Amino acid sequence: MQMAEALLDIRGLSIDYEVGAGVFHAISDLSLQITPGRVLGIVGETGSGKSTLAHAIPRLLQEPPARVRSGRILFRGVDVLELPRWKLPLLRGTGIGMIFQEPINSLNPAYRIFDQVAEAVAVRKLRDSGQTPTLFQAVEPHDYSRGKPVKTGPALLHAAIPHLPGIGTGARREALRTEVLDYLKLVRINDPETILDLYPHELSGGMRQRVMIAIALSEKPALLIADEPTSALDITIQAQVLTLMKELLEEVRTSILFISHDLGVIAEMADDVGVLYAGHLVEFGPVEDVYTNPRHPYTKLLLRSVPNRYKTDGPLPALTGSVPSLAKIPPGCPFHPRCPLAREICSQDPGPVLERAKGASASTHLSACYFSEEVATIG
Amino acid sequence: MTETAPQTRNSSSRAEATLVSKAEASVLRDFLRGLLRVLRANPLTFVGFILVLILSVLALLVVLVPVVTQLLLGHTILLTPFDPNELTTDYGQPPSTSHFFGTDNLGGDIFSRILTALPLDLAIGFGITGFALLVGGGLGLVAGFWDRPGTIGGVVSLVILRVTDVFLAFPSLVLALAIAASLGRGTGPAMLAVLVTWWPYYVRLTRGEVLAVKHQPYVMAARAAGVSEVRILFRHVLRNLLEPLLVYYTLDIGTVLVTFSTISFVGIGVPLSVPEWGSMVELYRRFLQTQPWTVLSAGGAIFVTVLAFSLFGDGLRDILDPRSRRALVQAAIPSTLMAKAAAAAEA
Repeated sequence: MQMAEALLDIRGLSIDYEVGAGVFHAISDLSLQITPGRVLGIVGETGSGKSTLAHAIPRLLQEPPARVRSGRILFRGVDVLELPRWKLPLLRGTGIGMIFQEPINSLNPAYRIFDQVAEAVAVRKLRDSGQTPTLFQAVEPHDYSRGKPVKTGPALLHAAIPHLPGIGTGARREALRTEVLDYLKLVRINDPETILDLYPHELSGGMRQRVMIAIALSEKPALLIADEPTSALDITIQAQVLTLMKELLEEVRTSILFISHDLGVIAEMADDVGVLYAGHLVEFGPVEDVYTNPRHPYTKLLLRSVPNRYKTDGPLPALTGSVPSLAKIPPGCPFHPRCPLAREICSQDPGPVLERAKGASASTHLSACYFSEEVATIG
Repeated sequence: MTETAPQTRNSSSRAEATLVSKAEASVLRDFLRGLLRVLRANPLTFVGFILVLILSVLALLVVLVPVVTQLLLGHTILLTPFDPNELTTDYGQPPSTSHFFGTDNLGGDIFSRILTALPLDLAIGFGITGFALLVGGGLGLVAGFWDRPGTIGGVVSLVILRVTDVFLAFPSLVLALAIAASLGRGTGPAMLAVLVTWWPYYVRLTRGEVLAVKHQPYVMAARAAGVSEVRILFRHVLRNLLEPLLVYYTLDIGTVLVTFSTISFVGIGVPLSVPEWGSMVELYRRFLQTQPWTVLSAGGAIFVTVLAFSLFGDGLRDILDPRSRRALVQAAIPSTLMAKAAAAAEA
């Protein structure tokens, strides 16, 4: 795999939640790479560890109860897990941006939209101008947020002091205004001039999510993590936001980690897809290959259970059984109790670490099943 | 602006300059106008605001008039009609035109005593709660925000909370009495005694609110946007604490006055020669049946002050909350004006 080129390289990541009831293995030995400019979709059921993964990359997990047991998260060659806590703000926003699931509460109710977008713009401007230290020396070609040379200085001081001298009034405000307007226009907000002066509670859910996207984009992140950005929206608004994001993909070339439980959304948005089951990455590959030629029994069954409006005869072929509790993941392959292909070995051996799927056309199509060539035989 | 043609550059930069200065001026003006509108839209707040204003001005005058007249005229003129400690022969008089609130059993003019006590009582109410808010609130902010176990913040947080617990474990009144008694009689020692016992409640209150606010998604969103922790604390967390803290603070002013009077009551607080509302209530309590105007006037003074600050604080909360502020401002603008503005916007 193109290790050197990977923007994000996660290796053997395991994350637990230690709570009173026991230890929950939210992510188990997960490895994946995102190459610059690609959109990676992560699909999985509720409780499969999608959000844990999304929050772990910019170190937003609350620790405790979360605990990274092992693994490395290399972002542009820097191990995120090794970074001291005070450096983390420098990683976030301009390096790794994030769009959250709940747009309703993701904006501070006390400030106008202008102030909230302007804060993000100001964060990026200060870093671009070298007034705050930068984590990354090398600016890679895909990174359109190319900054000026890094100025080394009293970095700790910079990070400790609330380094935005206020959005303030007057000239500074006016200077930011044009840029804020640009980003609101970018996310297709009608009448951005009016929106500037409104408070979050005066906007609809869809509008708020657009503002959140504008905030994330205004920092020009090298990697954008979208954690189910449309799940909290109703279906029509969801379609609008997805269309918007698809359009933005063309305009803003940035790598995206798109997380969703919706196979259709992933098919629409992503270049590559990773299938997550009980914290294990069971299949990984280009979206088309994975969807047309699944090489893991779980993916196959999951795809089969998507309602199809042309097949109206008979019941929906749902997966039998249920997702195991993350506190009691079955030994061996986590999927074996529900798997039609399960053999003796599946309950003892955890299965291969993602390997080239047998019978797959693309070389990057990986599966964590010993019997990947037999998956097609599942009815 | 940078893209303007050279020949218009001068005028445009001048226009820009005026635009900026106008914008700066209009922020203040907008704020004051907004305040006025809110006050008008919410009559109770308006009453509270006016009362607070009157009380503050009166307190200032009571303090300043004797000093200024002493300097200018060489002899002291009191704002009050009588010397608060003068004992006239008109003892036990009901309210009349010469003694507005009557006189007490020793012939002291109650109106003069109440007015003289105003600055002291405001200072007690404001000062003690203000100190508690600053110290307790500051400690609570730190203890609530940096509470990760195993970090320096976690240790500091633990120390703050345990020290607070020690103070809270004592019944605060008993502790205050003990401190006041050991320091000796006087206004200063009594204030110090209440001061020492008052801040722990604010630590607990603030910490609780911080814990609630810091887990809000918008705090996570700000963190994800690369905003530094200190800025998150002051800009995103503190701002959303203001409303509950302010309401508690204004209500607390009354509680402090009552507690303070209790210390005076047992005889270790303010000396009887110093007029203070709480001690006056305790002093006149015996005359509730025979000379009710004495105790009622002093109690009324506390009541009006507490009411004024409560109403004002409630109104301030409304102003701080964007949701109610917008509604208030809309209510404050006459509907005819709104219609006119709408018509103008359409045209």
